[in-house]
Amino acid sequence: MAKITIDKTIFEFEGDQPSLLQFCLDREIELPHFCYHPAMSAPANCRQCLVEIGNPERDRETGQIMVDEEGNEVIRFFPKLMTSCSENISDGLVVRTQRSSDLVRRAQKDNLEFLLINHPLDCPICDQAGHCPLQNQAYKYGPEGSRFEFRKVSKPKHIRLGPRVVLDAERCINCTRCTRFTSEISKSHQLTIVERSVKNYPMTPPGIEFDEPYSMNVIDICPVGALTSEDFRFKARVWEMSSTPSITTTNAKGSNCYYWVKDNRVLKITPRTNMNVNEFWLADDDRLDYERFNDDRPPGPTVDGEASSWEDGYARAAHILGNVDGNRIAFLGSAHASVEDNYLLARLAEKLGTAAPMYIEHVEVGSGDDWLRTDDRAPNASGCARLGFTVADADLFGPRLKGGEIDVLYVLEDDPVSTGLCTSDDLHGVSVILHHYNESNQTLPLATVSLPAATVVETVGTFVNIDGHAQRVRPAKAIRGVNRTLAMEIGRSRADQHGTPFDRWYNEENLINCQPGWVSVPGVANALGLDMPTTNPKAIMAELASTNSAFEGATYSAMGEYGIRLSEIGETV
Amino acid sequence: MTNFIKDPVVMMAERNPDPVFSNDELVFSDQEKRLIERWKSQYPTVDGAIMRVLWLAQEKFGFLPPEVIRLTADEVGIPYANAYGVATFYTQYYKKKRGKHVLDVCTCFSCQVCGGYDILHYLESKLGIHVGETTDDGLFTLQEVECLGACGSAPMLQVTNGRYVMDLTHERVDALIDTLRKGKTPEFTSVTLPQDEDELGGNRRSDVKEFQASSPRPVSETVR
Amino acid sequence: MEVKPTGQSKAGDWKNFQRVLLPPVKDLHKLEVYEAEGGYQTFRDALSTAKWTPPAVTEEVQQSVLRGRGGAGFPCGLKWTFMPPVDENVPRFLCCNADESEPGTFKDRQLMEYNPHLVFEGILLACYAMSIKTAYIYVRGEFADWITHMEAELEKVYAKGYVGQNILGSEFSTEIVIHKGAGAYICGEESSLMDSLEGKRAYPRVKPPFPAQKGIWGYPTTINNVETLACVPLILRYGGEWFSQIGAERHPGPVLYGISGHVNRPGVYEYPTGMLITDLIEQVAGGMRNGKKLKAVVPGGSSTPILTAAMIDGVTMDAETLRDAGSMMGTGGMLIMDEDTDIVAWLRRVTHFYHHESCGQCTPCREGTGWLENIVSRIEEGEGNIRDLDLLVDLCSQMEGRTVCALADAAAWPVRYTIERFREEFEARCRPSLVPGAEVMETVE
Repeated sequence: MAKITIDKTIFEFEGDQPSLLQFCLDREIELPHFCYHPAMSAPANCRQCLVEIGNPERDRETGQIMVDEEGNEVIRFFPKLMTSCSENISDGLVVRTQRSSDLVRRAQKDNLEFLLINHPLDCPICDQAGHCPLQNQAYKYGPEGSRFEFRKVSKPKHIRLGPRVVLDAERCINCTRCTRFTSEISKSHQLTIVERSVKNYPMTPPGIEFDEPYSMNVIDICPVGALTSEDFRFKARVWEMSSTPSITTTNAKGSNCYYWVKDNRVLKITPRTNMNVNEFWLADDDRLDYERFNDDRPPGPTVDGEASSWEDGYARAAHILGNVDGNRIAFLGSAHASVEDNYLLARLAEKLGTAAPMYIEHVEVGSGDDWLRTDDRAPNASGCARLGFTVADADLFGPRLKGGEIDVLYVLEDDPVSTGLCTSDDLHGVSVILHHYNESNQTLPLATVSLPAATVVETVGTFVNIDGHAQRVRPAKAIRGVNRTLAMEIGRSRADQHGTPFDRWYNEENLINCQPGWVSVPGVANALGLDMPTTNPKAIMAELASTNSAFEGATYSAMGEYGIRLSEIGETV
Repeated sequence: MTNFIKDPVVMMAERNPDPVFSNDELVFSDQEKRLIERWKSQYPTVDGAIMRVLWLAQEKFGFLPPEVIRLTADEVGIPYANAYGVATFYTQYYKKKRGKHVLDVCTCFSCQVCGGYDILHYLESKLGIHVGETTDDGLFTLQEVECLGACGSAPMLQVTNGRYVMDLTHERVDALIDTLRKGKTPEFTSVTLPQDEDELGGNRRSDVKEFQASSPRPVSETVR
Repeated sequence: MEVKPTGQSKAGDWKNFQRVLLPPVKDLHKLEVYEAEGGYQTFRDALSTAKWTPPAVTEEVQQSVLRGRGGAGFPCGLKWTFMPPVDENVPRFLCCNADESEPGTFKDRQLMEYNPHLVFEGILLACYAMSIKTAYIYVRGEFADWITHMEAELEKVYAKGYVGQNILGSEFSTEIVIHKGAGAYICGEESSLMDSLEGKRAYPRVKPPFPAQKGIWGYPTTINNVETLACVPLILRYGGEWFSQIGAERHPGPVLYGISGHVNRPGVYEYPTGMLITDLIEQVAGGMRNGKKLKAVVPGGSSTPILTAAMIDGVTMDAETLRDAGSMMGTGGMLIMDEDTDIVAWLRRVTHFYHHESCGQCTPCREGTGWLENIVSRIEEGEGNIRDLDLLVDLCSQMEGRTVCALADAAAWPVRYTIERFREEFEARCRPSLVPGAEVMETVE
């Protein structure tokens, strides 16, 4: 097997390998770098990842590797330091990083001194501070002070490149990640480096807005605070927020993300790398889809439009359901809700002798692309379909309601009125039980019982994306009241425990009075006196994974942080 | 005099300037289009033609405001941002309107030690402008440039990306300005190789104006 | 280790040297004159003679020990052998580097003005040797007049059938395209020249891969300087052996010396390599202007380390001798400076050049060049400190060998060596040192 020596440690490898830098990063050997990004070409322009590279010296005649008196291989090092990002790995390579080489340490320090001479010292007001590669690496590998005694170059500041991205060209270190993103990844070609020498900076050409649907990715890949979010600027410091790994729900791609929370409000959403789903990227829609978690939330359950307790809500719902014939009830599952919640709804329907729930399709033809935005604007239509739910047909559904065939409509986390499945008129005389996320839900005014539902950032559950990838979500923020399952998950999902009840900065502001479907649906069932044995989401998935071939293997531990690819429905494994 | 070291400020080009040229003006003639097609065919991908097309556009429109750069990009078939990045990288492309005649005075290296700055300052006082400025009548723009590769004929200047005027003295500068004011272009002069002077008795080319290098070298009065 | 110069010219009987790159022929730049002088015959022979297979042409160039005339002095024939074996499906390119932008260098322009067909013929032979079907001549944009001249002559060459498809009825086809630059020193660096040809911002590329592996548009490419290619027809006509006997043994051939600065007869001169610098100044270029004393010589363009008058004694113009003398051959563009030259001001202008011309791609060069100019500028104005000199040298060390291309080295060397070799002049311009104790020392003196 081929081998490579890094700081005297030998690593074996087989087959094609990424660059030396990536090889090291994959093995948790830190090498400072700025311009390198695994998804893009490596121009090696930041010059930060310099290392010493050597090869065993071979005898010119015999071709044998030469050894010294002590039997060690004689290594011939390149006279110059090489950038590890552009270096290919070959058998026998010997590498010295900053861990073992003064030369490398010195070079990295020198380079950081250069990077900082024209970089403003505005970390205290910079959004990037706290998670800034330049700041971190300057602390770790940089010089102690600066010997630069001249005016720093002034460049354009707070320039709105487009509706969502703001440029501070003085902070830019010209790594070209942003321009490479627009030319190699999104291919919008909206950015270029302009001017030359120390005067250069990234920019749109005149008359062009940087408004592509993926523009905000440049904010994450910017290794300094040169590109910041118009939406998020100056809202919070990174250390004031907790981040929770989860997925976004604006469409059926299920892009992986982090939800950033401060004081129980989601303030921003950033991508989380998942090579099977969204790779490194996240669409702008996904990033800006957070206000509905914070605002427009219902104050609590209602009965006949009046505020009520959860118990009264469950009791009234049970009363309604218990007094009609099962075939005069219609259950609507939801492509917005988790597999678990939909599953419990199906169990409730089954126990009441009602047909399996249907669900509303949220397809907006033409709204998606062939990348991370799908025409389907809901996250879990696949999950519904895998549970055997069928799509509710507006042409049939409204007339059925209007025709008096249905007395009770039970809606899980959706809005049949605003989606056009039925009209307000159609619901005249129908008792509506509604689990809803937002006050602006247009079915809410017609609801006999409304039960506020926990959103994706407040619950535990499973979503299946358009490609059959099953992924878990975790609570990023707490809800009002105590729930052992949520409390445990919130503690687990956030390494820092920031903002959790276990954190000393925990505060009770902005807690929403809502319940996950896996609490409220069994709440109704219990009030009906029905037995619903499995109500813990983890147990539900364990059960589904072993009993329903459409979810085969989809246990919480199997899904982990990155999800699993389910087999096609009907496909035998 | 603009000194980036003293005043290191990078000004941003206007993001949404009003177009200088109307859509009717922003077209290449059929002949120009044929030329562009030929250039495009000379490279494995059309991208290679952009520099030539930018040159063509600059000759046609005088300078390269954003709408002209966009026109070149569309004509070549490459992203506008790429063309804009290229146009701002190279110093000979005029992103802003210049005077009718641009005087690029070399002050670099050999020209510096042979009086390039003397010529630059002489032109400043003669034209009543500072380097980087344009005369009120719009006739002359004065620029300080890097080595133009005519070091043996220092000091020298280039007129509007074209003609080299070499071995400058105050008198030759005066004559040049007169010529340009009269609307004439200075003639191409071939600087005679010293060895040709000895072996051929003068310039080897019979088709151009010959020019015997002055001697000895001028003394530079100013070095900045 | 410094080798004491022998003090002997290696250029032999240079006074009777017969010029070959620029032979004394009236109107040689015209195709008909060039042909009448035997021009393109070598190329015809290469196409029609069984002896001149493409490998044989390369072999002859290797025999000649021709070294690149663009600055780096890399053996030309060896470079050609780096091209991968011909694959009909993979295009390959030649690029003639006529971006001549190194301050102090003006020989290629003269060659293109006076003997363009020699360059064309060299390009054709190189294409033939490497089975290349497209050659680009990258000419700096400032040479607009010379581009016009060359394009006119090139049209004639096309009409004559020396370029194009099935040249002179043979199997061999090649096109020559003149590419006009637009003002960027960096384009003379071969990898950024390739980016520029591709219609991009001219950023140098990381090497490896080298152009022969992955060049223009990712295809195998060889890049040679104008003068280098102009030597090729001569080598084939008179033999590699002949060429290798001219001038300095390890760096042979005729070479164009571009002499500028404070001499009486500046200009481009063709002589063998290995000329004594003193001969070039005194006997070739007519001596120092106004009888002034020599102060310094920059032997091969602005990035080659400056030599003091004392250092040039017995030094000849060839790579090895100049290296041992503490400088480089570079492009052979020599700047001669007399005793009145303000070396601090001169260095400031050189640092300004590199600051202005840095492409801005990679850190040490983008940031370092400006820092250098800042400090030297401060010293020139009398505001510098003695410690600035050490800082300058330190910054040079931080730039050298740390960047994608050699521009940072080219910017650092003049600073490093000018300070080393003219330190007193810099110190005299500085304020007294702020290092504690240093002022006391001065008082004692």
